[in-house]
Amino acid sequence: MQWFDALVQGILLGGMYAQYALGMALMFGVMRIVNISHGDLVILLSLIGISMATAWGLGPLAVLAILVPLGLFMGWLLQKAVLNKVVGSDPLPSLIATFGLSIALQNLMLQIWSANSRSLPGGGIESRSVDIGGIYIGLLPVIVLVVAIALTWGLDLMLKKTRFGRALRAAAADVEAAAMTGINPRAVYALATAVAVGILGFAAVFQSLRSTVAPADGAAQLIYAFEAVIIGGMGSVWGAFIGSMVLGISQGIGFRIDPGFGVLAGHLVFLIVLATRPQGLFGKA
Amino acid sequence: MTMTAISDAATAIPAPAVTVRRQTNSGRIAMTLAIVALVAVAVMPWWASTGTIRMILELCCYIAVAQMWNLLAGYAGLVSVGQQAFMGAAGYALFVLAQTFGINPFLAVLLSLIVPAVLAVPLYFLLHRLDGPYFSIGTWVVAEVFRLVASNLPLVNSGAGMSLRVMSQYSAFERNVAMSLLCAFMLLVTLGGSYWLLRSRFGLALIAMRDNPVAAASQGVDVSRLRFLVYVAAAVGCGLAGAVYFMAQLRINPPSAFDPMWANVAIFIVMIGGIGSIEGVLIGSLIFFIADRWFGEYGATYFVVLGLMTLLVALYARTGIWGLLSRRFDAPWFPFRRFLVDPNR
Repeated sequence: MQWFDALVQGILLGGMYAQYALGMALMFGVMRIVNISHGDLVILLSLIGISMATAWGLGPLAVLAILVPLGLFMGWLLQKAVLNKVVGSDPLPSLIATFGLSIALQNLMLQIWSANSRSLPGGGIESRSVDIGGIYIGLLPVIVLVVAIALTWGLDLMLKKTRFGRALRAAAADVEAAAMTGINPRAVYALATAVAVGILGFAAVFQSLRSTVAPADGAAQLIYAFEAVIIGGMGSVWGAFIGSMVLGISQGIGFRIDPGFGVLAGHLVFLIVLATRPQGLFGKA
Repeated sequence: MTMTAISDAATAIPAPAVTVRRQTNSGRIAMTLAIVALVAVAVMPWWASTGTIRMILELCCYIAVAQMWNLLAGYAGLVSVGQQAFMGAAGYALFVLAQTFGINPFLAVLLSLIVPAVLAVPLYFLLHRLDGPYFSIGTWVVAEVFRLVASNLPLVNSGAGMSLRVMSQYSAFERNVAMSLLCAFMLLVTLGGSYWLLRSRFGLALIAMRDNPVAAASQGVDVSRLRFLVYVAAAVGCGLAGAVYFMAQLRINPPSAFDPMWANVAIFIVMIGGIGSIEGVLIGSLIFFIADRWFGEYGATYFVVLGLMTLLVALYARTGIWGLLSRRFDAPWFPFRRFLVDPNR
């Protein structure tokens, strides 16, 4: 029973990680870019949301309604101002550029919000839970998981069915051929990054409701998102989702074995997948 | 018929007697200055105060770590953001050997280098499967794993960390002598070793690989083997810096041993100074060292500026300061190019 509980909590934790991982899978799949400031953007959005909630007394839904468009705009700006200048076959410039941005963002947030941990008041929703056969399941983690599934499903549908999705996949497969058919790769990239950071708007609200956020937390979020994408297999949206589940379950069971072992268990599963199945569980070899 | 004609012509005209010039005047001056500086570092206890020695030791560690990162990212195309894994591993090895097993600490510094070398081999085989940017975050995960393992390992006193109490049996002067010699040795191994490597046959291969790995492979350069060797060498170099740094600190704990700050520092130094050159590392280290002394008190603002500068360099000036300088003045400090000179002219 104890282990079943760990499994359930791990799946719920995986829902949170999926919200970080989707944007990263999208950006890497399309542009072969890893945005090192990915986690810092979640924290930045969270802190903006918390400040707005306390200043104007907004509820979580109102904060979500502001943060998602803000995320979309930040992603678009990031692509226009920075990433479009460094996208290319050499991974070094984009890596260094977003690394510099990450350090700048972290310290800027430290200056504005200080090093304290904060959280978003959820009006009681964060502490409500249901008892199902002796296992207490928090209402908020279930909402997080449902939203994560909806986002994954929506993103997958967008990539498969819409005109924009087709343009994205074409640009991902061969930029030059896509450009010849009338697709503007830079515009596609800007939209992809906007969507990726927009999803982080959801992650920001749920992260700050579920637990606390502090300016230095971004690095851990980046690493979890990255591990989920690699475990699931690169370039696949559902792969990133399943990877997040695997990571969440590994950490959940690890925490149950020993509280100091939880995060480490996630890292170890990641290294085992890397050693035995480097293309990821769902990746094509 | 034409075939023989060509071969006749080729044998008739002898190949011009050229000599290969590998040193320049600027290189000779720089080499003299470098040797003077190295000797000055080695004899620090006779001219510098303990405080100055500690400052210079820190500078030497920056130079060593930055040069190792430069070798990885600038030549081998392996952008690591987790070299602190090897610094911490060697630092901890030193503390365990000297404090727990009672081995002479100065001997233990050298013995502790075995640990990063041994760890780097399986890690490379794991990480090289990750391509480009994913390799980078993979190295970071490894550093995190090291930190978490150290936090849970009773052998290294878990999260509480260790102290190097055995150092108290040596006088302050003895310790300063050892620190100075270790600093000089570290510079000699990391900078001198890199320079020697770049001038050797491996250097040609490395430079070819830096410019275009696919073309280098087509010319017979064993790119993957070279990358592996550079990764292990950089692990040992960073391990040396870590062992020396933590010996001077006298204390080690998981957050300080595996501090990602070292990756930030190395990237900043190399990108600002100029990637793919030893000169760039020296320029970048001096700039960072001076900036740290002058602006360190501004804390977060200072790091915002450092981060933005790194971003701007990546966007607009990828060769850094040395790249901009060497475009104007052809006066390398550490030349490794080969010039063909016709002695008859």
